[in-house]
Amino acid sequence: MNAANAAGAASPPVGDMIIFLIMAAWVAFFAILTITRRNPVTAVMSLVATFFGLAAIYAALSAHFLAVIQVLVYAGAIMVLFIFVVMILNREEVAPLSLRPMRLLGVVAGVYLTWTFIGLAWEGVPPKTPLPVVSETYGTVASVGDMLFREFLYPFEAISLLLLVAIVGGVVVSRSHQKEVAAQRAADYRKQVEELASSDFPGKQEELPASGGGHH
Amino acid sequence: MAIPTAYYLILSFVLFLIGTTGVLLRRNALIVLMGIELQLNGGNLALLAFARQLGDQKGHVFAFLVIALAAAEAAVGLAILVGLFRSRESVNLDDATMMKR
Repeated sequence: MNAANAAGAASPPVGDMIIFLIMAAWVAFFAILTITRRNPVTAVMSLVATFFGLAAIYAALSAHFLAVIQVLVYAGAIMVLFIFVVMILNREEVAPLSLRPMRLLGVVAGVYLTWTFIGLAWEGVPPKTPLPVVSETYGTVASVGDMLFREFLYPFEAISLLLLVAIVGGVVVSRSHQKEVAAQRAADYRKQVEELASSDFPGKQEELPASGGGHH
Repeated sequence: MAIPTAYYLILSFVLFLIGTTGVLLRRNALIVLMGIELQLNGGNLALLAFARQLGDQKGHVFAFLVIALAAAEAAVGLAILVGLFRSRESVNLDDATMMKR
C-alpha cells in the first residue's frame, strides 16, 4: 500500500480496482432496486444490501469505525424500524411512478448535472492525486472516539438531544387518535340529531299544526 | 486500497442521484423515505472519501453525526407516515393534500 502511495501518479492496482468496481456495482444495483421495486419488503431488503456494500466501501476507505456503525445502526436499527412500518401498513401500490411529461425536463437536467459533476470530480480531485499515507490508527474506534469526545463534544451532546426530541416527536405524532375521532363523530351526530329534531318536517306541520313541539 | 478519490466521489454522486430519483418519482411514502436514506448515504460517502484524501478524521465525526441524524429522521418520518395512514388509509403521497390550499 505504501509503495502504491509513493508511486502516486501510477494507476491504482488492478486487483484493488476490480474489488472497488464490484462493490460499487453492488451498491448501485441494489440502490436502483430499492427505488424501483413495487413491493416495499423487497425495497427494504435491497436497501439493507446497499448498506452492507457501503460498509465494505467505508472499510476500504480505512473508516473502520464508520463501517461498523453503518452495519449496526443503519442495516440494524433503522432498517428494523422500516420493516416494522412496512409490516404495519403493507399495501400494494396502484401506480408506483408519478410520471408526467414535464418530468422529461427533469431527466434532461439530471443527465446534465451528472455530466457536470463527473467533470468536476475529475478536475477537482484528479485520479492521479496521490493519497496521503495515514497512520495505522486512522479511522479506528479509539482515534475517532478520541476526536469525538475532545473536539466535538458539543455536537455530540446536541445530537443526543436531537434523538430525544425525535423519540418524543415520534410517539406524539404516531399515537392513536381513535378516541378523539370517536368523540368528535359522536358530537357531530348529536348535533345533527338535535338540528333535525328542532326543525320540523314540512309534511308533518300540515297534518298536525298544533302538536309540532311534541316530537322533541 | 489505493483507489483515487474521484471514483468514490462519482459513486457517492450516483447514490445521491438514485436517491433523488426515488424521492421525486415514487408515490409510496415508504420508498420516498428510503430515497432520503440513500441521499444521506451518498453524502456520507463523499465526506469519508474527502476525509481519506485529506488524511483528516473530522469527516468521520461528521459522518457519524449524519448517521445519528438519519436515525432521528427515520423515526419521525415513519411516525408521520403511520399518522398519515391512520387518517387517510393510504401511504400514497398524492393523497396527502391536507395542507394544500
